[in-house]
Amino acid sequence: MRTSRSLIIIGGGPAGMAAAIEAARAGLNLTLIDEAPRLGGQVYRRPPEAFRVEDAERLGRDFARGERLRAEFSEIAERVEILSGTSVLGVWPDREVLWARDDVSGVFRAERLIIAGGAYDRPVPFPGWTLPGVMTAGGVQVLMKTMRVRPGRRALVAGTGPLIVGVAHRLHDLGVEVVSVLEAGDHRWVSGGVTAATNEWDTIGDVRSSLEALGRAGIPLLFNHTIFEAEGADAVEAATYGPVDAEAWQPRKDRPRRVEVDLVVTGFGFVPNTELTTLAGCRHHHAPELGGWVPVRDALMQTTVPGVFAVGDGAGIGGVLVALEEGRIAGITAAELAGTISADEASGRRAGPIDRLLSLAEVRALLGEISQIKPGLLELASPETLACRCEEVSFAEVRAAVDEGAKDLQAVKLFTRLGMGPCQGRNCASHVGMHLCQATGRVPEEVGRITPRPPAKPVTLGALAAMEGVAQTAAADPLDAVGGGAS
Amino acid sequence: MSRSPDVVVVGGGVIGCAVAYYVAKRGLKVTLVDLPKRGRATSASAGGLWPLGESVGLGCGVIFYKALAGMGTLPDGVHGPGQLPRVFLDFALRSNAMFPGLAGELREASGIDFEFERTSLLFLMYDEGDVTFAKPLWEQCPCGKDLTEWLTPEELAKAEPAVTRAIHGALRFHGDDQVNPYRLADAFRAGARNLGATILTHTEVTGLRVEAGRVVGVETAAGPVACDLVVNAAGAWAAEVGRMVGLDIPVRPVRGQIIGTETLPEVLSACLSTTDCYLAQKGHGEVIIGSTTEEVGFEVGTTPEALKTLSAGAVRAVPFLKDVRVKRVWSGLRPGSPDELPILGPVEGLDGYLNACGHFRTGILTSPLTGQLVAELAVGDRPSFPVEPFLLARFRSPGPHAEDGTGVGPLADLDPPPPGSGGSR
Repeated sequence: MRTSRSLIIIGGGPAGMAAAIEAARAGLNLTLIDEAPRLGGQVYRRPPEAFRVEDAERLGRDFARGERLRAEFSEIAERVEILSGTSVLGVWPDREVLWARDDVSGVFRAERLIIAGGAYDRPVPFPGWTLPGVMTAGGVQVLMKTMRVRPGRRALVAGTGPLIVGVAHRLHDLGVEVVSVLEAGDHRWVSGGVTAATNEWDTIGDVRSSLEALGRAGIPLLFNHTIFEAEGADAVEAATYGPVDAEAWQPRKDRPRRVEVDLVVTGFGFVPNTELTTLAGCRHHHAPELGGWVPVRDALMQTTVPGVFAVGDGAGIGGVLVALEEGRIAGITAAELAGTISADEASGRRAGPIDRLLSLAEVRALLGEISQIKPGLLELASPETLACRCEEVSFAEVRAAVDEGAKDLQAVKLFTRLGMGPCQGRNCASHVGMHLCQATGRVPEEVGRITPRPPAKPVTLGALAAMEGVAQTAAADPLDAVGGGAS
Repeated sequence: MSRSPDVVVVGGGVIGCAVAYYVAKRGLKVTLVDLPKRGRATSASAGGLWPLGESVGLGCGVIFYKALAGMGTLPDGVHGPGQLPRVFLDFALRSNAMFPGLAGELREASGIDFEFERTSLLFLMYDEGDVTFAKPLWEQCPCGKDLTEWLTPEELAKAEPAVTRAIHGALRFHGDDQVNPYRLADAFRAGARNLGATILTHTEVTGLRVEAGRVVGVETAAGPVACDLVVNAAGAWAAEVGRMVGLDIPVRPVRGQIIGTETLPEVLSACLSTTDCYLAQKGHGEVIIGSTTEEVGFEVGTTPEALKTLSAGAVRAVPFLKDVRVKRVWSGLRPGSPDELPILGPVEGLDGYLNACGHFRTGILTSPLTGQLVAELAVGDRPSFPVEPFLLARFRSPGPHAEDGTGVGPLADLDPPPPGSGGSR
């Protein structure tokens, strides 16, 4: 079977779709691999086909913008081999891509590769954070956007940045009683210029209208407050929260308030999903304003591995508008590398996206600053709180490993098995990394990262056994030959 | 050597920790210096204690043999996985016999349970070729027939209902059991510490100090440590430590890739060895599927080919695994020696130095006896098992030594290693 592809785009969110649109317009045939059953990514997520959307307006502007991108995409769809419902388990530095879908997997070799892996919610551990009923803003959005499901009856929303306001608004719209919205930071983003800017900032939803809606509903938005603890036997039954200091967000636990809720939503920003760029061998650097570790890129979105591009939130949190322009730039450049358009033509086509990206830079920097969490939040976890929920490693065990001399994440992993579970560190690495920086006085570059390994996504042994595009090692059973020759 | 030498152990894998434990038990002052590196075999190991299986070429041996045969790259005159010499089997059996007692001893000394489990090992026979291969192992087993058992397909189905029915039977090796490998290393380390050993973790050894033909100290990133005796227990990195004192130790990294499944209820009571892979269900429920045998230097990645081959092998042996999820895939670097035997004991012309390296795929299994022998040598006792067959000197040859010490020189004059060069567990 044919295993070589001239361009593979991993991720069918805004960045990946924009890259596909431009590459295909420039005459390049390509393969687009996306995990979801339908393209759109997290922001432009769509209800399943079986759902009829009768109230598109209530789905918000993201939905409408997503529909426009989908329309643009449909014009070039014939040049695109779409593998939806397909996850990418691994990427190798020679641009080999291992994918899996249902009961089968396979390997493609990509001449060019655009990785648009998106981001995930930044986990912030606090006592009770692993209880059912504690959900991330992203998880709640998925439930609401695709399934139109009401995730709880009575909710407390905590986090930082404009997204939590949007989530609270949507929860309220769906009939969830929102007790309070807790912003760990100050009110900067609500006032003045930022609101105006964020009005154009799709990632974080329609902030102003959400603020107004919360005001009308009488839902308090408390600044310099955060969640302290979620309680409950088998699921969340109550939560305590209270003030944090303005400087470092240190919780003032002497002044807790307690509310009965069955849902706690946390939204402390996003962490770029860099597993695939890491596996591909790209160099990364630590950029707190971009969400943490991100691949090093040139102006044309190419990583340090030739032919491998990284775009969108997976290459640095920037939101959907940034993702779209980065995707377009990478798509055009991939086509240029493939020779389907000339260098002049390519730079002409890139001019618009590059301009728009520049005009977004200022507000992006501001939002990056606002969304950064402060180290005081590290004090939320108690020694018994799980740092790694997959392998059930507590903060006390992390501390013990540090006392044993573990000074970086990889060493803590070897000591405690933290990060060895199915999430591969997504739920613990960013936070425990901060924790190590604080405990050892080292910088993120010294604390390092948890090395991901394939499979980056869940897969069955049956699917791996049915791998296409890879030779099985031995065909015949060689022990048949042993009888004659053996002693 | 003084009566009570101060000992430094280089390397904190299962061998180094065992050495530190047994040396400390003798009342000596011991310091273990360790820098955990990616690919350490102890962390990667499946934890099988398979003295019989390993000695007759099962486990990784037969998998590697099949891979070579499939690629058409078997050395001339090689028919079947290599068997190890009798002396190794005796060594492995003796070490294996220490485990039941050690489980209680280390629980006492360290508070850690290393999860010793009596599982036995089953070689699954898929076809006539496998039967022809297994029959002589059963009839002429060097350990006598009482440790082996021939299972008909019906008996196998009863003993291991999860195993495929498309099978000609199985050969069982009693006494081939399993442990949790990193818990074992943890237990040795904690036990040593409780006996007064100093453990320097995350500390790199940068050099060995030699004066007048004797090692007198170890240079580390945290400063020098004086000693009367240094033990090289550096696993796949042993050659590097050897070079610090001009020794040419033929240990090279031999990569093995392994798959771990999600946690399952108890589905396998025995460990399984087939021509495709081995399978072992651990105490916490995950099934470990190993392992390849690859010489790719210190590269610790994984490959699609290995994932496919191991998964297919696992599904063939235990069909319901088809729907089971993979939790993790990893690789480890076995400390490979040319003849698959460990390299132990003193080196002529260099006092204050002992080898405890080259344990290839049986380091977990042979760690207790290795630790005990090194401790006996350290205090000047007669070793309770002869170390002569395991001395570095066995690789000496009249030919010139390789200058870089990668072991190419001395090996060139030896017979090619048997193809059943297997995997660490």
